[in-house]
Amino acid sequence: MNKNYIFLAALLIILAGGLLFLPEKNNQVQENPENLMWDIAQPTRYVTTDQVAKMIIEKDPLFQLVDVRQNYDYEYFSLPGAYNVPIDSLLTEISDIILDTDDINTILYSDDDIKADQAWVIAKRMGYNNIYVMKGGLNCWIRTIIQPEAPPETAPITDLELYEFRKGASLFFTGAAISVDTDNKQGLKITRKKKETVAEGGC
Amino acid sequence: MHIHELNPKKTLIAFVIFAIVIIAGLITLSGPRLKYKLSAEKTIELVAWDDGYVFPYEIEDVLVGAIDTVIIIDIRNTFDFSRGHIPGAENISAVELLSKENIKRMTKLQKDGYKVLLYGETLLQANGPWMVFRQLGFDNVSALMGGYQYYEIWKDNLADSYADDGYLEGAADFDYADVAANANVTEDDEQKQSLNVTRRKKSTVVEGGC
Amino acid sequence: MDLINLNIMGPLIPLGHIATGWDFVIALLIGIAFGFILEASGFSSSRNITGVFYGYNFVVLRVFMTAVVVAMIGLLYFNYMGWIDLNLVFVLPTYLNSMIAGSLIMGLGFVLGGFCPGTSYTAIAIGKIDAIVFTAGLFLGIFIFSEAFPLIEGFYNGGNLGSITMGEMFGVSNQIVAFSFVIIALIAFYVTWLIEKKVRRKITPYKFE
Repeated sequence: MNKNYIFLAALLIILAGGLLFLPEKNNQVQENPENLMWDIAQPTRYVTTDQVAKMIIEKDPLFQLVDVRQNYDYEYFSLPGAYNVPIDSLLTEISDIILDTDDINTILYSDDDIKADQAWVIAKRMGYNNIYVMKGGLNCWIRTIIQPEAPPETAPITDLELYEFRKGASLFFTGAAISVDTDNKQGLKITRKKKETVAEGGC
Repeated sequence: MHIHELNPKKTLIAFVIFAIVIIAGLITLSGPRLKYKLSAEKTIELVAWDDGYVFPYEIEDVLVGAIDTVIIIDIRNTFDFSRGHIPGAENISAVELLSKENIKRMTKLQKDGYKVLLYGETLLQANGPWMVFRQLGFDNVSALMGGYQYYEIWKDNLADSYADDGYLEGAADFDYADVAANANVTEDDEQKQSLNVTRRKKSTVVEGGC
Repeated sequence: MDLINLNIMGPLIPLGHIATGWDFVIALLIGIAFGFILEASGFSSSRNITGVFYGYNFVVLRVFMTAVVVAMIGLLYFNYMGWIDLNLVFVLPTYLNSMIAGSLIMGLGFVLGGFCPGTSYTAIAIGKIDAIVFTAGLFLGIFIFSEAFPLIEGFYNGGNLGSITMGEMFGVSNQIVAFSFVIIALIAFYVTWLIEKKVRRKITPYKFE
């Protein structure tokens, strides 16, 4: 047996043996901390309660709501059409099916926006895209959509239009008559150019 | 005649190059600069326990100077910082928090037993960076509840804020069903989404035969 | 040391590093290289190919096992080093029933005809007439199959195990499968060398110069 054959065979065995000792590679590609911090610093992940209300009313097909509170809270009250993924089940297979969408926007919400934001950070770290957070959470939902505050008389017309929208949304979601006075307020028409801001308004 | 009988050394050379490529790859394998110390599961436990937040009245001692092992960091941008900040706070905006020098400093602070307090405009703003630091293994980092907004209102009598709840974030302020269920059945029952589990097939490249 | 930290990860086309239009160009180049190597290893001669079945020439076994071993070790190391993502590499789905039946038929054809489908083309390239006849038969068989497909469709799709690897099927990691395969391959090389030494009377010893 020619010694070069033996050398080649030994080389193969060493390489294959080295394979056995390779440590277990974590297959899931997580986002690295710097990118995560950069994503956190962007405010574009927030959507307002008005936007969410609009999407529900218009039956927007490209979004889904995810409630990150515990199951009993979810059973007690939740937004229409929302899935329930409690934070401690964020990494299970069922949640993976819900969250892993390329074209549907997922909006997380909780009582206040802290828990939803925490869930967002974890989801972002695990590489999910198209995840958003409803700013203000359900507290803000109640304050703006269900029980909207009437703006004062001197408010600009955009505020009044928003208020009208919220009144309508409140009717949609609760089906109850709301006792507000309905004189047609003529608001001030301010012709300032509206700056494009992210997730303004709310609480 | 086989081609490798004409050039006998080729087999040997090919194999040796193969081995060298693999070994070179292993040697030059470099890990990333920042590694997560907490796995995702541990991070979930972390947020469930809720103990990384600091109440506003607790920083009274720090501001007065009674405790000097706490560093306060303002993570807002420089403009907001210049308009008003907690005295003694440093300004490091969120994206620079993970620069090389800062990480070195944070490691040193952690070793020396200092605590770091992050605050933003609200608790929400500081929540993200706080989570990232905790996941990197810096367990001496906390976030200020209420943020600068709350502090500004109470800054002259912080200790009294103990009795106030205004900074409490993260809890439900309303009994939702009570408020929203004014006459309707549509809220809870039919609207729950039932999940049809269809595993989406990952797209793969065209196959081939022999 | 950061010499080979490329930020490019394989597989190249699914991850977008190379535009998808290059599919066919790369396939052509790989095909040319494959044909060259096959011919250079002597696979256009049906004697070499059927030698495995009759037990006097094991070059087929040696060449293919070497290729498999090199590819396995290389891919697993590359996966570890982050140069390729093995989850994105295509794995042929396993249909037990049809694959077992198909391999029986192919083995039969292999021995009878003296070529396997790929090597029949290399033989045509060097002008062998029996390869042309073999390929004509190949097309005929495929045509009959496609015409008769509705009858055997159920059988064709039976026993679907999905895209599993041997490691997943036996519950061991891929590395262990690779290592055992290397051991088996080396033993096979040694045994075939002994057999060949005994059986072939006129064997030219391979000289390393």
